[in-house]
Amino acid sequence: MANILFELKQAGYSYFGRFPALCSVDLTIMQGAKTAVIGANGTGKSTLLSMLDALIFPDQGSVKAFGMPLDDKMQENSDFTMAFRRRVGLVFQNPDIQLFCPTVRDDIMFGPLQLRMRDSEAAKRLDKVVTELKLASLLDRSPCQLSIGEKKKVAIASVLAIQPEVLLLDEPTAGLDPQTTRDIIDILVSENLSGTTLVTATHDLHIIEEIADTVHVFGPERNIIRSAPPEEVLSDRTFLQAHNLVHIHRHRHKDAGVSHAHQHDVKHHH
Amino acid sequence: MKRSCFIEKSLMGTVAFLRESVFADDYAAKKGFLQARDPRFKTAAVFFLVLSVLFSRDIPAIAVIYLITLLSAGCSFINPVFFLSRTWFFIPFFTLFIAAPSVFSVFTPGEPLASFRIGGFLLQITRQGAAGALIFFSRVLVSVSLCVLLSLTTKHFALLKVLRVFRVPQIFVMTLGMCYRYIFLFIGIIQDTYTAMKSRCGYAVSPVKGQRIVAWNIATLWQRSYQMQSRVYDAMLSRGYTGETYLYGGFRAGVRDVFMLAAAAVIFFFVLWQTYCSS
Repeated sequence: MANILFELKQAGYSYFGRFPALCSVDLTIMQGAKTAVIGANGTGKSTLLSMLDALIFPDQGSVKAFGMPLDDKMQENSDFTMAFRRRVGLVFQNPDIQLFCPTVRDDIMFGPLQLRMRDSEAAKRLDKVVTELKLASLLDRSPCQLSIGEKKKVAIASVLAIQPEVLLLDEPTAGLDPQTTRDIIDILVSENLSGTTLVTATHDLHIIEEIADTVHVFGPERNIIRSAPPEEVLSDRTFLQAHNLVHIHRHRHKDAGVSHAHQHDVKHHH
Repeated sequence: MKRSCFIEKSLMGTVAFLRESVFADDYAAKKGFLQARDPRFKTAAVFFLVLSVLFSRDIPAIAVIYLITLLSAGCSFINPVFFLSRTWFFIPFFTLFIAAPSVFSVFTPGEPLASFRIGGFLLQITRQGAAGALIFFSRVLVSVSLCVLLSLTTKHFALLKVLRVFRVPQIFVMTLGMCYRYIFLFIGIIQDTYTAMKSRCGYAVSPVKGQRIVAWNIATLWQRSYQMQSRVYDAMLSRGYTGETYLYGGFRAGVRDVFMLAAAAVIFFFVLWQTYCSS
């Protein structure tokens, strides 16, 4: 039986103690699982990822990671904190936040070096992710000189260099062109096949079937309102429309322009 | 020039200057003489040469060091026009203004070199005053040239690592590196904000309104940078940062590096001997 990596019980969080961002969330994440978190803007997806990465701690309920509670006291246990950082990696939504070093090379090596790996080991990991993600030509460039797609890939590489057991991703494909989106999905699927647990917050419904076995939908009350396999959630158009998760396109049918809710088919016919 | 254009020109000029400094990284990537040197030895050599210039009271000695600087720039494939324009303007130019009064007998009495009258007031340029001003200007020019040459031929992250080698506190080096990184992000934000403002207000903005817009820009940028710093700190924590930064080593020195440093040290000790012992 697979291990439980994260366990949230009635977990809640409010910014400045006044603005609720996450309310009464019950969630279990198993080792090797692929989990997607979807929901309209402001429903608490990013807050959940920050909580899973121990950047914020619940002010209600509890969160456990690897059997240990994640709370303020965690910071006093430097061994656990270091072990936790080695096991869990978060890819932020905005790559400009994640890429703070002068060059791509420094950014990718930042994690392994802070986690006290030797220079030779950090260099080995750099070579590995650079080969896998085809980033060799970018190594000595400044992150500010990269395109958004390149930045996203480098941000993912900077976390993969840590070789975490759990990869948390906040909108990994938002605003990317189709090819870069494809590349990133391939990277994530390959990581999961090699045993990495994936937790992805996204709005891109068309990638969910590939990157998730279970989808948790967040509602306006900032809690989980539905948990189900992706096919089940994606086929429920009424539910998706009610929770602002489906695109609305204007089509021209014959000579008349009409506006109606429309979801792209996730299954393609060739 | 219209005053309304002044704001745009100032903003865009600053942005262009800062952008240019990013592209100056291209020089550091070239395969020239100085680019191939170990940054630690190169920095130490430049330090010795700057000290030599500061200790020297002899114009020909300073001129020789300047010649070495120009030759090194040439061997490092740096465009001479680009290099001279970077080193002759701003600091040396302003230094000339600062040093100018000292050439007159009012400030530096001595042997008259030339004299003229302005509004019935006799002004005399003295040999000692002119020599002092020339040495002051030459020292600034050569020191600036050496530092610019070092920064042009060394990738800035390597320079930051060198600062750590020379025991500059880590927090200072880290902050410097992040400032460099984020200044370009904020440049992009300034440009985008200004373009968005122009698209809404048009090109003709009154000077008062323009000043107000710049003030808003500064306030917004401050807020954004404040928000961003906490997120960047989170991103650092997430990858194991605990307050002490660990950087990758990876410098390799060769015989040529040692030779270059030795040559700079010899010049320095020769200047010291010439200044304090030869007479």
